[in-house]
Amino acid sequence: MQKPLKKIAVLLTIGALTLTACGQKPDITENLADNTKTDKKQILLFGPMEKSAPNASNTARTAHDLTVLMAEERLDLVVEYRTYTAENYQEKTYDEVTLDRARHNMDDLYLLNPDVIHTLGIEGKLADLSSLDCVKNLRDVVKTANTVNGKLVAIPQEVVAYGLFVNKDMFDQYDLQLPETPEEFMECCRVFKENGIETPIGANRWWLETFVFAQAFADLYNGDNTDAEIAALNSGEAKYSDYLRPGFEYLQELIDKEYIDAKTAYTYEAIEGEGPDFMAQKTPIVMAYWGAANTDTAYGSPDFNMQVIGFPSNRGQMPVIPITGYGVSANAEHLEDSMDVLDVILSDEALELYSQTNRVISPSKNVASNCIPALKPLNDRIEEGIYVLASNANLKMEQWGNICLLVRNLLNGSSVDDCMAKLDQLQEESLQN
Amino acid sequence: MKKGHISNILNKGKVFISLIILVFCILGAVVFFIAKQISEEMSASAIENLSESLELISSTIETVLYKEAEFQQLIADEAATFDDPEKLILSYNQNSTMTKISLIAAGEQTGISNTGDIFTTEELDFSAGFKIQNLQVSKSYLNDMGTWAYTMKCPIKKGKLEIASLYIEYIYDSFDQAMPDKLYNNHATLYIMDAKSKRFLLKPKGIGEREAGHLNLDDFYNANSILEPQIQTDIAEYIENGDNVMFYHKIKNEDSLIYMWSVNDGSLYLIGYVPVTAIQREGSAVNKNIFFVVAIMMIAFFICCSIYFLNNRIQSKIRQEREHEREIYNKQLAEALQTAQIANNSKTTFLSNMSHDIRTPMNAILGFTTLLAKDADNPDKVREYLKKITASGQHLLSLINDILDISKIESGKVALTIGEFTLNDLVTSVDAIIRPAAKAKNQTFFVTVVGIKHEYLIGDETRINQILINLLSNAVKYTPEGGHIWFRIIGLEQHSSQFEHIRIEVEDDGYGMTPEYLSIIFDSFTREENSTTNKIQGTGLGMAITKNIVELMGGTIEVSSKVNVGSLFTVDLELRIQNETVDENFWNTHGIFRILAVDDEEAICKNIQILMEDSGVKVDIAFNGNEALQQIQDVYQQGDQYNVILLDWQMPDMNGIETAKQIRTVISDDIPILFLTAYDWEDIEAEALRAGIDGFFAKPFFVAAFKEKILAFHAGRHIDDIPQQNTHSLEGKTFLVAEDNEINAEILSEILSVEGASCEIAVNGQLVLERFQNAAPGEFDAILMDVQMPVMNGYEATKAIRSLQCEDAKNVPIIAMTANAFAEDIKEALHSGMNAHLSKPIDVAVLKETIQNFL
Repeated sequence: MQKPLKKIAVLLTIGALTLTACGQKPDITENLADNTKTDKKQILLFGPMEKSAPNASNTARTAHDLTVLMAEERLDLVVEYRTYTAENYQEKTYDEVTLDRARHNMDDLYLLNPDVIHTLGIEGKLADLSSLDCVKNLRDVVKTANTVNGKLVAIPQEVVAYGLFVNKDMFDQYDLQLPETPEEFMECCRVFKENGIETPIGANRWWLETFVFAQAFADLYNGDNTDAEIAALNSGEAKYSDYLRPGFEYLQELIDKEYIDAKTAYTYEAIEGEGPDFMAQKTPIVMAYWGAANTDTAYGSPDFNMQVIGFPSNRGQMPVIPITGYGVSANAEHLEDSMDVLDVILSDEALELYSQTNRVISPSKNVASNCIPALKPLNDRIEEGIYVLASNANLKMEQWGNICLLVRNLLNGSSVDDCMAKLDQLQEESLQN
Repeated sequence: MKKGHISNILNKGKVFISLIILVFCILGAVVFFIAKQISEEMSASAIENLSESLELISSTIETVLYKEAEFQQLIADEAATFDDPEKLILSYNQNSTMTKISLIAAGEQTGISNTGDIFTTEELDFSAGFKIQNLQVSKSYLNDMGTWAYTMKCPIKKGKLEIASLYIEYIYDSFDQAMPDKLYNNHATLYIMDAKSKRFLLKPKGIGEREAGHLNLDDFYNANSILEPQIQTDIAEYIENGDNVMFYHKIKNEDSLIYMWSVNDGSLYLIGYVPVTAIQREGSAVNKNIFFVVAIMMIAFFICCSIYFLNNRIQSKIRQEREHEREIYNKQLAEALQTAQIANNSKTTFLSNMSHDIRTPMNAILGFTTLLAKDADNPDKVREYLKKITASGQHLLSLINDILDISKIESGKVALTIGEFTLNDLVTSVDAIIRPAAKAKNQTFFVTVVGIKHEYLIGDETRINQILINLLSNAVKYTPEGGHIWFRIIGLEQHSSQFEHIRIEVEDDGYGMTPEYLSIIFDSFTREENSTTNKIQGTGLGMAITKNIVELMGGTIEVSSKVNVGSLFTVDLELRIQNETVDENFWNTHGIFRILAVDDEEAICKNIQILMEDSGVKVDIAFNGNEALQQIQDVYQQGDQYNVILLDWQMPDMNGIETAKQIRTVISDDIPILFLTAYDWEDIEAEALRAGIDGFFAKPFFVAAFKEKILAFHAGRHIDDIPQQNTHSLEGKTFLVAEDNEINAEILSEILSVEGASCEIAVNGQLVLERFQNAAPGEFDAILMDVQMPVMNGYEATKAIRSLQCEDAKNVPIIAMTANAFAEDIKEALHSGMNAHLSKPIDVAVLKETIQNFL
């Protein structure tokens, strides 16, 4: 055993000497500065970002990030985020800032709301996306809603459907059926109110218009005369006010009966304002978009049985679909690269990934929708082909933004007649353009 | 002693382990201290580096602000030189830094921008009082480009008269180029915050993550869980004072360093955080390397320790093995010494025994010889003395034979002489020796053979015979007169079809043995000594020889005994079965198809059936005379008959003779009736013959003996006619005798003379050879050749004679007569060309018979 010990000692010595020999003095002629150029293109993406709660994860943003990462890897570029969120209702809205930025060519890519799509599309600030490969996979409703002056100006990663988020436990508590018609809905509110629910409907300054759309266009979009009715609106033969008045009057009634707190709704940002009361089961009804049911930053993990249903209409529960989308600035510094990015993040592969992560209705007809149980009632209606578009570029007058502002006026004390007069004015202006 | 040694080792082990633990504790403490020191130093260094980086960024932003202020001052100075400064303003285009240039004349509420639009200061808030190079800076706001901006106000003076104010809007995006692309490899976040509104104005490209917390300071707090009111209050105070802030806090469960760095006296702040791991990478790397080196050293140390302990263990094991071997050697040496001492004692005992045992008969011989000389004239006394001298001589001879036997056995030189034999012959020869001896002591000798399937066996008949004689002669010797001796051969279950497994039992109701003696019975020179047995002559070697022979044959021998009750010796042997060619024709040829065996002992009847099993002869049995008669009649009535009837003599109710008489009345005389008896039939022979018995043969029954009787019966003679004794007369024969010993020569000469033969003596082989060469053909009838002789020994002489050319050299019988009596001596004698071998002392009868065989 003495020999092995000696061998080990010799080996260790040799190893130590070798390591010592490997140590080198720095070469004084070597340039230690790193001159490697990081010349990756930077695509600027302007999008909204809600104010965050600690430890909350936003699955929608996660899903979006995954597709952006896919684009970055494939195109060897960097997508830089620019974002804005108003601190309060007095500040500029995201849409206003988006319009400013797009008009001043501040960014390459924008995530746009329906009214902004319409406005920028008409102004020619958005590039035509018709040539993208992903377009051939899109559902017709998406192309229809976002085609302005013959150009497809925006494409979404999800078809955003709005619905009523209801606390089914509270409905059951008061032995209420989920409402189908405006009258049934009104009755439910009455019962809640009488049972001490101070404000049965939690609302914000953005999404009350969905009530109006559901009642206004239920027949237009689900009847047999859609094209003719749209043509009549575009020619001025028919008035938007005729369609929208019942909805406004209905909202007014809800306000008058204090089923909606107009003052707070006027100041509330989406979800931030009304969300906490809904999650705390103080409010049985709120309205939100499909994805809010999937994310912890909204209504993703309620402690009660939550159901998402359509808005009340004379045709029953009615989903409201405003088509949002990503648009490329027509004067973007990196126009071609931005188009490539869109082609990647809107490809079937990316949308499949997005849909699996976020469980939404995909704009691609090749990607099956993936919904949680709470969303089933809403999804069933959409699958039946029953829904109302809240934005439609075929209509000359932009609706999503304009109606939102009118509803906001209503919340702020304007009468229904004032709102309708303003609406007529807007229609007139659109006809003149 | 051993316990103390183990305890010592354990204590040493504990001390050693304690030392190792102590060394490791010290080493661990040192490493921990160094690592902590390094960590702290690195941490301090990292904070310093971070501070420097933030300071640098802050300075860069301040520089940009200063340059903007200086530039604005230059424009203002230039505008002052214009009669209409608005023209200068309108001549400026928007660029990436200055997005709007406006001018308001002194005393006016509105002015004009370079875009041509009316400009007012309604939306600008200068109340915070921040200044750059003495120029007022507005609160940050979102401009019409949708991006965060600020405006600096600069008075336009002509001389000392302020004629207008110059407002230039700058956007924060312009700082983006001055910001680092990466901060701590993108692990750090960085925002520019407006100190007044706490709004986050810019996140430089490439800095930070795509996460929330971008909006304002509260948003930052919420997103990063910095919710402690005290911290928020302190920070608010620091920001109010324009101080820098840096503190540790957990962000997303990771220790991070949060920094808020004042820019331009606190009008702006650089805000962000960086995980500690990102800024202490060097420290972590150094610590990791230290721990890695320590780990390697520890592993190396443990390997060395393991090797050391392994080596120690192996050495210890080897040492133990050596000690064990040494112990074994010592034990073996002690045993060898003991054995040698025992051997020495044995030798002494042996010599003492020999002296005693040889002197005793020798004393008798010499004593009676003396008496013989005195009483030579008294024939009766002479005969008596001669008889006693002969007895003593024979005892002396047997003693010598036994000594030689045991000597050979113990030296391992005994070889078995394997050959074919029959149990019948074996039992017969033993019976012939023992029965007279037993009879002489008035003892009853029983021989029983049961369960034997094969009686034709292969083995060393002589040695088996020796075993049986030893055991039985002892039984006779140590059983008082009138006692009983049982000799049984029992067939046991065969282990192999090729071997007969037999058990030999020799039982007596004699003196028996003490337990002490039983334990040494098989040792040499041991005899049970008591007042009774002391009178019995014996060498004390018989049982030792017997045991050795049994073991040599692969068998076992056991003994049980009780004093005054008797002894039982049991020998188990496995003997190969001869390839018997069942001579079925024998029985057919002799017309024997069915026999009747009559014996009151069922075992004997069954034994006959077993032994006759392969013969094809049907064996019926009857246990008494009446039953036998009945069966004979029954068979007769069936139209069949027995061809032989075997009849026991002693049977209850009706003995064998009576039964034979009765049988003869129902069967014809040509059917043999044979008496199968354990008794000496001489007393009843005449009566039996008259009763119609055709012959006798001794129990136990053997097929071979039975066949002989049948053959004899069919030969027409009386089957128990005793063959005529061959007289082997040497009358008129002439022998050439080689014998160097004069006395032996004389004795032989006299014996031959008595037998009517003559002889010529030669004293060595050479003389014998010469005499035979010179002899006329046929002059000598045979040569009696001693072996050990001077000049030429018997073997050489025989070879020489056989090689002679004379006519009868090849044929003349040469018979060895030598004291070399071992088997190898016999072989060598035959090999040298001799015809036979006779061992000395000469037995006259054997000599005559042997010589007669070759003449």
